Amino acid sequence: MTNQWKLKEIVLMSILGVVFGVIYLLFFLVGQGIRNILVPFGLAPFGYEIIFGVWFIVSIIAAYILRKPGVAFTAEVIAAVVEVLLGSAAGPALILTGIIQGAAAELVFALTKWKDYRLRILILSGMSAALISFVWNLYSSGNIALAPGLLIAMLIVRLISGALLAGVLGKWISDQLAKTGVLRGYALGKELQKKRETGAA
Amino acid sequence: MFMISSINPTIKAFAVLIPGILLGFTFDVFTPLVYFIFILLVTFTLTDIPVIKWMKIFSPFLLVALGFAWMTTLYANQTFSYGDVLFSLWGIEVTTGSILTGISLAFRSLCFVALSLLFALTTDSTKFMLSLMQQCKLPPKITYGVLAGYRFLPIFQHELQILRQAHRIRGIGRTRGIKGRLNQFRRYSIPLLANGIRKAERVAIAMESKGFTGDTDRTHYHKMTVEKKDWLFFAMIVGTFVVVVGMSYYFGYLNIFGKQF
Repeated sequence: MTNQWKLKEIVLMSILGVVFGVIYLLFFLVGQGIRNILVPFGLAPFGYEIIFGVWFIVSIIAAYILRKPGVAFTAEVIAAVVEVLLGSAAGPALILTGIIQGAAAELVFALTKWKDYRLRILILSGMSAALISFVWNLYSSGNIALAPGLLIAMLIVRLISGALLAGVLGKWISDQLAKTGVLRGYALGKELQKKRETGAA
Repeated sequence: MFMISSINPTIKAFAVLIPGILLGFTFDVFTPLVYFIFILLVTFTLTDIPVIKWMKIFSPFLLVALGFAWMTTLYANQTFSYGDVLFSLWGIEVTTGSILTGISLAFRSLCFVALSLLFALTTDSTKFMLSLMQQCKLPPKITYGVLAGYRFLPIFQHELQILRQAHRIRGIGRTRGIKGRLNQFRRYSIPLLANGIRKAERVAIAMESKGFTGDTDRTHYHKMTVEKKDWLFFAMIVGTFVVVVGMSYYFGYLNIFGKQF
């Protein structure tokens, strides 16, 4: 798998991992903040669910830019490793979470044989990460002890968050980046270039 | 005895990970509580982490754990709300079972945090990556790619500052409202990422021009080794967990997914 990747693509993944690793850590605080606001309304369980999609975004961005097998998975795991390297309270368990979320996002790209990167696929990929991470949290955070009605509501919120914050926002950020021209050496930039040429001709 | 900072990072990571995963099965108070006390003992005897520093990082999680316990208590499902009804709040009946499950989950999350801190505060990040490459056979391309990216972090901070100053000097102030915020987010994030991508390209070219091929058949300046003491540490952390579960079973506390053993 790694032989198909150029070194610059791997360093790009790790730079994305560094940037989003920091953002991921910051969003734990954001989640806690939203949660504190929601407590008086009895909606505390939804604090993290609303923003959960953010934690899958690097998979979408990396896969959309590089368009190669294994990228969605690896980028997410690298971001998790960076979170651990940053040496806060994030331990090796976070890498495991990254592996699960990354694999879930990769699954959708694998089903299209890594050929289709339209918005709907990116959204599906975000939702797949949301669904599988939710199942993992049933076990890892003991959510299985919660009432079924609440769990279903939480799952729906997380799926929407995965679709919007990972799928739609991830595509938007990548497209904005491609417009600056820095991605000319990568799959997304090349596609944009091609479109421009055919448009001009 | 050994200090935990000298343990091989990969072995340490797995030693911390395995009890963390297995704790997911238990829903009684005894098991996570006793194991939590054990981790505290290990933290304060086998490492030189200052207690004050540890408390500072740990204390916010107490609040998080408490909130989590309270939520589980209120919203526990039928399997976990066994026992007598203690009181009812806003029409929700709180039973002994739901309270015990809540407390158990709180201690479980505290165990996670304490285990993570035990790892994070005693592990050098470069050594961790080198160990992942030498023990876990992570490809050198990825290892050195991540290390190179990781080193850019201080530069990103510096660049953010420059961006801010550049905006200010051109008279772009802070904006209000959701639309303004979104615009501001784009003004900072896109240039920052674009610069990062340019750097990624340059670093990759520099690495390759200096002869880095990503070959797995290479020599290492820093050799990471696994010794007897590493396995001793592994056996201690994982073994104690098994003993605690055994004790819990013996005293009749053990509860796995709401089933009493």
